[in-house]
Amino acid sequence: MVNIKLYTLSTCPWCKKAKRFFADNHIVVNAVDYDLSDEQDQAAIQREIKALTGNGNLSFPFAIFGDIFVVGYRPDRYRELLGLEAQPDER
Amino acid sequence: MSDEERLAFLRSNYARIVDLLGFKFTSDEELVRDLLEAEVMLEKKFGAPYCPCQGRTNNRAEDMRIVCPCIPYHRAHFDAMKRCWCGLFIHKDVDDPDSLMQFAPNES
Repeated sequence: MVNIKLYTLSTCPWCKKAKRFFADNHIVVNAVDYDLSDEQDQAAIQREIKALTGNGNLSFPFAIFGDIFVVGYRPDRYRELLGLEAQPDER
Repeated sequence: MSDEERLAFLRSNYARIVDLLGFKFTSDEELVRDLLEAEVMLEKKFGAPYCPCQGRTNNRAEDMRIVCPCIPYHRAHFDAMKRCWCGLFIHKDVDDPDSLMQFAPNES
């Protein structure tokens, strides 16, 4: 199973949905709340996201599957990358 | 001003602004409530109603781009999604906000 990192904000409803998606599908992820991290960790997360996206947008949830990233709450993409059955009307 | 009064103020203030931009509040009332409550908290903590779903960098100029309503700073991206990033606002012609997805600026 690929290593999955999930950057989130504790204030973001979509981040909560993303966490629930992985929990409901029994997928272990390394989840980190960006806004609750210390300044050093925030700077490291900013660098990592910028290196992946090429822009400075800190839009969450931000999921990293190995070397593939998914910006936003996208259960369709999560299923695709995990090889799970598609569920078209999943929100 | 109590949190509830501040939330009501933000709501009425935003409605007028986003109407001019071609947006309206999502019909998902629970989401509106969650997001506005978060904004009232963020405003008290950091001095401005920042978007609850975009991260602050502590660089004031950059962080201005995520003060709600942040639509003007992300116009092309939000028009492509027909919603703002956190989903508080949707295009006026959208009836089913659940049909709208988040995606990165260069993704469509």
